[in-house]
Amino acid sequence: LCPSSLLLLAPRPDEILRSLAGPPSPPGQDPHGWRVPVDCVRANELCAAEPSCSSRYRTLRQCLAGRDRNTMLANKECQAALEVLQESPLYDCRCKRGMKKELQCLQIYWSIHLGLTEGEEFYEASPYEPVTSRLSDIFRLASIFSGMDPAANSKSNHCLDAAKACNLNDNCKRLRSGYISTCSKEISATEHCSRRKCHKALRQFFDRVPSEYTYRLLFCSCKDQACAERRRQTIVPSCSYEDKEKPNCLDLRNTCRTDHLCRSRLADFHANCQASFQSLTSCPGDNYQACLGSYAGLIAGFDMTPNYVDASTTSITISPWCSCKGSGNMEEECEKFLRDFTENPCLRNAIQAFGNGTDGNLSPKNPSPPVTLPPKTEKSPVLPDDINDSNTMYDTSIITTCTSVQEHGPKLNKSKEQSLCYSETQLTTDIMPDQKSFVNQKAGGSRHRVGRILPVAPIILLLLQV
Amino acid sequence: SRRKRARARHKPCALKELEVSVSELGLGYESDETVLFRYCSGTCEAAVRSYDLSLKSMRSKRRIKKEKVRARPCCRPLAYDDDVSFLDAYNRYYTVNELSAKECGCV
Repeated sequence: LCPSSLLLLAPRPDEILRSLAGPPSPPGQDPHGWRVPVDCVRANELCAAEPSCSSRYRTLRQCLAGRDRNTMLANKECQAALEVLQESPLYDCRCKRGMKKELQCLQIYWSIHLGLTEGEEFYEASPYEPVTSRLSDIFRLASIFSGMDPAANSKSNHCLDAAKACNLNDNCKRLRSGYISTCSKEISATEHCSRRKCHKALRQFFDRVPSEYTYRLLFCSCKDQACAERRRQTIVPSCSYEDKEKPNCLDLRNTCRTDHLCRSRLADFHANCQASFQSLTSCPGDNYQACLGSYAGLIAGFDMTPNYVDASTTSITISPWCSCKGSGNMEEECEKFLRDFTENPCLRNAIQAFGNGTDGNLSPKNPSPPVTLPPKTEKSPVLPDDINDSNTMYDTSIITTCTSVQEHGPKLNKSKEQSLCYSETQLTTDIMPDQKSFVNQKAGGSRHRVGRILPVAPIILLLLQV
Repeated sequence: SRRKRARARHKPCALKELEVSVSELGLGYESDETVLFRYCSGTCEAAVRSYDLSLKSMRSKRRIKKEKVRARPCCRPLAYDDDVSFLDAYNRYYTVNELSAKECGCV
């Protein structure tokens, strides 16, 4: 926390009063998170505990039900309710992708923010917490697989390698098979598949499988068409993406905005992938990870699901399943909306950077301490509302087990590493012979080995001196 | 040594695993995707019951002649793994169930 940045924000007198009054109700929006927003489910609980807040919130919800912003604000009571709620923790609460009660959280968020936004805006603020993790964090974890199969590198179909890595991980394999079988299950002669169930299964895959697996499948780099076609097929586009007709993109956006989840994921995509001409990477805050995360989040976002439009290896073109035909006088706005997918330098750079294994983090970064992952966490850990922990949601128990094995068993050979992620019994049998062997070996390269031998050395020296 | 090899062959029934390509499975699918194939392997000496001994005795006394019987327990999957899905060489998805063992036992 930098005190000078707090001064620069020049709080209004009423804000100072409020901050003196005690409970945090900060004006959010600061991407550097000098005050951490509380999640909306929690904010709702805080509000419910306070009679004045809870009654105003109830009033506002009734005001907004079935009414647009202007008619709502015409009502004195509604306006008063909104003003009071702007002072409550509900005002700048946020949600986490894949959190427990995500839908409930988003409902609470929009119940306030629909009243706050100036009608239909082109870009909306994202209800999700800013992503602070970097691609390099994923590469570090992905390096678990890097030495997996040297033969695979010569053929260099990265998308096939990604499928292999997923198949060898029980969690990834299970959820991948889950969406593939759901999305390719024929229902009847007329209905090719259940699009709704397919999207739900895809959402589970992208929310519950760590991004080092899902990104590898989705953003693998390709040199030939077979690879690019495999990449395009990742989300089973025949069910999740393509449709009989191509709707107009603005119509599609309106449909998306009627759904809290789709609306949120779209707003998040716009917040994190919007091409910026102020940064070298064209991404907001040079954060590729945030853009890729928002893109992956949108895949499950119902009909707004984006995908590669073809199996081209040279140029990457992404688009939702829509066109700007029939836009009427909104042609320009439609094209602008579509270009955020099809001609977005930030998104393209982020995908290419992931494929090449480079990070967009150009600013010097402090040497990060060795990451200690939390012990076995449930799928939606209830975390303290610390922005720095927001990437924890990508870590599942499985990857945690794998990495902790890496830390404790430093001398495991590569081919055995991935099998360690599967069974506890194998884990012990594989580590034991190693421990025996390093006692016998005199020369030590590993940190652990040195650590074990060093304390013995002073004793030997002492004996020699005597 | 020879002795060690002999002992290795007599490991008790347990789950083992192999990384194989889908084409290698011999199910008629053509795909380079790699899957984890878990199978049951090992002996079931410890699981021999009175049933097996008696059956063996009946057979040697030729009380059972023509029928096909098995007088020793067999190392087999007790449960199978979840479905496995993959993309084949013609860009079609397939899902195979009960491909891989999850738990082994002498039955």
